[in-house]
Amino acid sequence: MRRIVRAFFTYSCLQSVPRHPSRGSHQRHRRAALLLAWLVLFGPPLNDSIAGEPAAPPKGQTASITLRFVSWKPDHPRVWDEALAEFTKTHPDISVVRELAPHSSTAYHDLLTQKLKNRDATVDVFFMDVIWVPEFAEAGWARRLDERFPPAMREEFLPATIEVGRYADHLYGVPSRIDAGLLYYRSDLLTKYGFAPPTTWDELARQAETIVEGEQPRNPTLRGYTAQFKQYEGLVCNMVEFIDSHGGSLLTADGTHSALAKPEAMAAVQFVRDRVIGRLASRAALTYQEPESLSVFLQGHAVFHRNWPYAWELANNQTRSTVAGQVAVMPLPGFTPGRTTAALGGWLYGISAYSQHPDEAWALIEFLSSQAMQKKFTQEAGIAPSRQSLFSDPDLLAAAPQLRNHFAVLRSATARPRSPLYPAISHALQRYFSRALAIDDLDLVHEATMADAQINRLLSLTEPVP
Amino acid sequence: MNHASLILRHREKLAAWTMVAPALLVTMLFALYPVMDSLWLSLHNIYIGLPQLGSPFVGPDNYLTLVRDPVAHQALAVTLAFVVLSTLLELACGLIIALVIHERFRGRGLVRAAILIPWAIPTVVASQLWRYIFNDQYGFANLLVFGEHVTDYVPWLAYPGVAFGIVVLADVWKTSSFAALLILAGLQVIPDDLYDAARVDGATAWQRFWHITLPLLKPALLLALLFRTMDAFRVFDLVFVMTQGGPGDATQVLQFYGYQTLFTEGRIGYGSAVSVAVFLMILALSLTYLRAIGSSLLERRQP
Repeated sequence: MRRIVRAFFTYSCLQSVPRHPSRGSHQRHRRAALLLAWLVLFGPPLNDSIAGEPAAPPKGQTASITLRFVSWKPDHPRVWDEALAEFTKTHPDISVVRELAPHSSTAYHDLLTQKLKNRDATVDVFFMDVIWVPEFAEAGWARRLDERFPPAMREEFLPATIEVGRYADHLYGVPSRIDAGLLYYRSDLLTKYGFAPPTTWDELARQAETIVEGEQPRNPTLRGYTAQFKQYEGLVCNMVEFIDSHGGSLLTADGTHSALAKPEAMAAVQFVRDRVIGRLASRAALTYQEPESLSVFLQGHAVFHRNWPYAWELANNQTRSTVAGQVAVMPLPGFTPGRTTAALGGWLYGISAYSQHPDEAWALIEFLSSQAMQKKFTQEAGIAPSRQSLFSDPDLLAAAPQLRNHFAVLRSATARPRSPLYPAISHALQRYFSRALAIDDLDLVHEATMADAQINRLLSLTEPVP
Repeated sequence: MNHASLILRHREKLAAWTMVAPALLVTMLFALYPVMDSLWLSLHNIYIGLPQLGSPFVGPDNYLTLVRDPVAHQALAVTLAFVVLSTLLELACGLIIALVIHERFRGRGLVRAAILIPWAIPTVVASQLWRYIFNDQYGFANLLVFGEHVTDYVPWLAYPGVAFGIVVLADVWKTSSFAALLILAGLQVIPDDLYDAARVDGATAWQRFWHITLPLLKPALLLALLFRTMDAFRVFDLVFVMTQGGPGDATQVLQFYGYQTLFTEGRIGYGSAVSVAVFLMILALSLTYLRAIGSSLLERRQP
């Protein structure tokens, strides 16, 4: 057990992330490797697999209450330190201990739920991925926030971010930030070959082909597209975008059955299998999570790149990107013009059902999700805010003009299946997609039917979630 | 038997139990209890995400599902392939290494120490290293094979069969030295006079190896086989770090499947059934081996 936990923790520090890396991949890996070596050599005791780091209360004050805030390892630790320092300044009676869990979403999920399963009272506030809400609500891990977070307050946030926090008529999360799949592209190359940004996958494929061929002498390793196709949660996000924009869906409209074997979904998977993997994108994309695929784009080895909003800041960062200033962003293409889909992601603040200090926990959440703090995080950490008004904030738009483009995409993003058994459903989806893309001789119909059956079995255990 | 000696025997028994008790207690607490608890859990249907379902007793249902679960079948096939391939390769490499470091040569101490390095490196670190080695862009494997021809670089881990092979390779690299250590111990107890006698009789080096070394090594080899099989059966960290079971489930092993169902999916009953199944398979294997080792030891005693 200990070995598993340790392997798990050390690896997760290293593991490429379904969310937002900020350092260049190399440096990241080196640092992570150092950390890893240190960790394994002087192995932490079991209970320390989450490292706490108390934010000291200001001098002369003694904090009467300690809040424990479990979050993933942030990409911009400085911004977080500053935010929490400001909170303790305004709330001198509360000190916040941050518990840093692994960077990877799945690894973080496994660790946090392990604590909640044990009714651990040392968790007060935590980050919840949008896909976890039904599970956390059903299991009774997250407190209902219906009264603390009244409709008038909710209206200030993007509706989609409120909806993902709702389960069976109760609200469990306050939106921290929103994510949706976006298409990044090399504006310099498109201009050079006289192309307008593509609106369909066919168009994208044709443009990429021409550009890759034309650039061959200068850049022999240039590929058309790079995205995330490893067997992990991100694969589901990428595939739901292809399937949905092809007129298919993962589940039937009433949410009771899996719809993978339907012709629209099959055709979308077939498209990725035949035309993306090994052609438009390098076959290596089957091993890519966000950091690897982004690094290919940042090094100038790809014309098009699918990623979340955070990638914008990195792609245009002179010290990290060789293509800074030559990158533009737009909605992902569809199969017919105008039909575009982005997978909805993002993070919510939740309060543990076992917290002894729900009022103080709420104060922290209110502070962190405030207009001012969201603005700070958007400006300094490059994420997309969940408050509507920030998308028209003149300061922000001056510093981050891409927000204007993101707004429409973020508003209409497609959620992944909502079920308390989502982790199991996701594994079945990951397995199907990865097999469909990686294995050469494969009876796709058979695989889709099997995945359908497996997911239907899971869905039959619960009431459909609207 | 008189009264006094009865009391004495009784006391002796008591003393024996008292002395064994701590060890027994620890074993019960850390080995028996978890196993029995898993067994008990595996007879229930428990979904962490669905507490309203309660935890109904379902008897052997989870095991019946397991027997029919195509993902488990695939994971079992991958696990068995991994066990057979890695164990055989590790024994072969271990034997060669042991024979080399058994010879007397200058710097033998240094070589013996160096051989142990892979085994001393934590598996998570080693897995991460192998993952880098086979990286599609900056991996050493590509540099080695293709040199500067970056356009030819291969994404090794993106091919199901190759990815599986790489996981086996990483395990062989990592644990051959452990097999070597056990085999070396076996080599050292073979008396030199047997070789001297064989030489006098004109036996070639190959004959000496085939007729003396190998038969007398049998117990050591079996022991190495036992340890390596059991270890290979519960392979987890390599897969966790290198591939997460992908691509296309090509490296999905039973232990990782069990971990996923238990920890990520929160299907406590079914996940426990997977763990118990792995436990039973390892138990059956080790009993078979132990019997084989026992009989081979007996053979040696009867000249």
